[in-house]
Amino acid sequence: MDNTLYLSSSPHIHSGETTERIMRLVIYALLPAAAVSLYFFGLPALKTLLICTLGCIAFEALANKLMKQPLTVKDGSGALTGILLALNMPASSAWWLSLLGAAVAILIGKMIYGGLGYNPFNPALVARVVLLISFPVQMTSWTAPAPLTTGIDAVTAATPLGEMKMSVMLTGKLPENLNSGMLDYFTGNMAGCLGEVSAIALLAGGLFLIYKKVITWHIPVSFIGTTLGVGAIFWLVDASKYPNPLFHLLTGGLILGAFFMATDMVTSPVTYQGMLIFGFGCGLLTILIRLFGGYPEGVSFAILLMNAATPLIDRYCRPKIYGQVEKA
Amino acid sequence: MSLVKTFTKGIWKENAVFKLLLGMCPLLAVTTSAENGLGMGAASTFVLVCSNIVVAILRKLIPSKVRIPAFIIIIATFVTIVQLCMEAWVYGLYQSLGIFIPLIVVNCLILGRAEAFASKRPIIDSAVDGLGMGLGFTLALFILGAVREIFGSGQLLGISLFGAGYQPMLLMILPPGAFISLGLLLALMNKVEAGR
Amino acid sequence: MLKDMARLLITLTIIAASAGFLLSQVEQATREPIKEQRRLQMVKALSAVLPEFDNSPDTDIVSLQNGVNKKGEPVQVAFYRARKEGEIVGAAFKVIAPDGYTGNIEVMIGVRPDEMVNAIEILTHAETPGLGDKITFSSWKDLFKNKGLDNADWRVKKDGGEFDQFSGATISPRAVVGAVKKGLEFFRENKAKILAEGGQS
Repeated sequence: MDNTLYLSSSPHIHSGETTERIMRLVIYALLPAAAVSLYFFGLPALKTLLICTLGCIAFEALANKLMKQPLTVKDGSGALTGILLALNMPASSAWWLSLLGAAVAILIGKMIYGGLGYNPFNPALVARVVLLISFPVQMTSWTAPAPLTTGIDAVTAATPLGEMKMSVMLTGKLPENLNSGMLDYFTGNMAGCLGEVSAIALLAGGLFLIYKKVITWHIPVSFIGTTLGVGAIFWLVDASKYPNPLFHLLTGGLILGAFFMATDMVTSPVTYQGMLIFGFGCGLLTILIRLFGGYPEGVSFAILLMNAATPLIDRYCRPKIYGQVEKA
Repeated sequence: MSLVKTFTKGIWKENAVFKLLLGMCPLLAVTTSAENGLGMGAASTFVLVCSNIVVAILRKLIPSKVRIPAFIIIIATFVTIVQLCMEAWVYGLYQSLGIFIPLIVVNCLILGRAEAFASKRPIIDSAVDGLGMGLGFTLALFILGAVREIFGSGQLLGISLFGAGYQPMLLMILPPGAFISLGLLLALMNKVEAGR
Repeated sequence: MLKDMARLLITLTIIAASAGFLLSQVEQATREPIKEQRRLQMVKALSAVLPEFDNSPDTDIVSLQNGVNKKGEPVQVAFYRARKEGEIVGAAFKVIAPDGYTGNIEVMIGVRPDEMVNAIEILTHAETPGLGDKITFSSWKDLFKNKGLDNADWRVKKDGGEFDQFSGATISPRAVVGAVKKGLEFFRENKAKILAEGGQS
């Protein structure tokens, strides 16, 4: 019999929650959105998904090897980053664009800081922003959705947000057909990134995550709420120049960002109060970039900027230690 | 310290950029191409050597209370000389470096060497120190400029390196690219040092 | 104490005075070359847009007022005239496109007496590298050659005209096309004055 007595510091009770389980659940939650994107964009979408995911896993293994670490790919975080990255890319991305994105996400976004848990920024978003700034033409060459059933060749098209920005910039007015496509926006029948398209599939995944207690409601609700609230104020002031809040909700990456990327445990605040502030900041930045910024879509920039503010938020939202007395 | 050591320390062991992280403003701002890096490096080296020599000559005459204003006047004089000469004879480079030529005045590397080295050492030592430090700075500017030019526009010193199919990575010649490449270069340097 | 102060003053004064003297010498030595460089720069831009000439257009100038700026001050446009054997063969002038993606785009236009564009040159711009800055490519600038108000549709293709835009960048080409068109209209209105013999300089 082994008589060694093990001593360790608290905590002694483990919830049974593991990194693998969380990552697996998030991947499940993304499956509906991925499936919808495959339906609307077909084989090119599958190619992008595969290259991003496999690329991320391969680069993580490579980095483990170079850094002489134990292999960490089994925790599934690399695969999740890959899927999120693919959902942030246009369907028709060239193979090298996807692969470069995977390399940036894993090597510069994550491993250079020491791996999962040490990265200050969401790796998939780091990669998206690097690609977007570096290759603006390729990253904004959207294909209009061509459902598998129709068999029509893909044509290029602008995203609803892109159309809006272009029109406001040229004529100072919103495009006329802006509100006619709400149902299409809701189901995902519009041009955009793989994961920007289907609001309903993303919502289903997000609610699943909240139900499974992988994420809490605080960040998504305050993020989306702020975007819609501020969007509504502008809309009420001048409806000919600013789109209605529903448009903001259903187009672009708002739902994807609010449920799946802003809630990343490593890069968002730990307290509920902090999460609300974080979500508010993301929402405010998103709407400001959408309406007044140089880029049509601001979700990824907003989340990255708030990632940078996370340590500060955590500092000011530190829970009181039991028995601590408020300083006069 | 021997003259050789005084010279070489600036190039690697105490490299202004890679080891001391001095002179970041011109480094990050002008290194959009290797040529700009070289031009900026040469201008800074000239100013550094001249100001080091003059400060060393005057080191016993300048009262310590007003040494900083005195150094700044000396440095600013040489910067203005460089600026006028560049405008007169290398107009293209003068235009592409723009505002960053007059800003050499506030490059902390130059005031730093005047204060830390030239104000305490003989003339020859100071000149050699200035040359070494300047070349080290130029080297760093050139490397960073080359890396950013290669990735950001697919060229080196204006010569295309890759075929027409190459998609230049715009980020690298935009401001964030300067920070990212400098960070990666420093990481690489540290890795090389640690491996030794 | 007083002596100390005096010493500080004197040292600084001597240093500053010698610096001033040195600079004045350098300035004198470089004054002519700098003037020459600036002139060459101007001539280079002018010869890029004007037909072949044998005079010096940078000194053959007609100045006209074109509207007022935001402060209400008159805006002067200088027309640099190119001559061959005394005949005016073209005039070059600067127009500013205020609606670039990032600020103003300065364009030099060379127009022949038949109101056709000889060539254009982008002088300064701050358009996005890789997207809008393609307006400086000669393949694009060449589109303007031999175009006039009457034989071309002065819009980018996206707006139904005949000038190419670039994928991902419509605003910069549109701004340049618009500015050149305005320049041509101004040229047409004032053609007599611009091409008048002698002129004012």
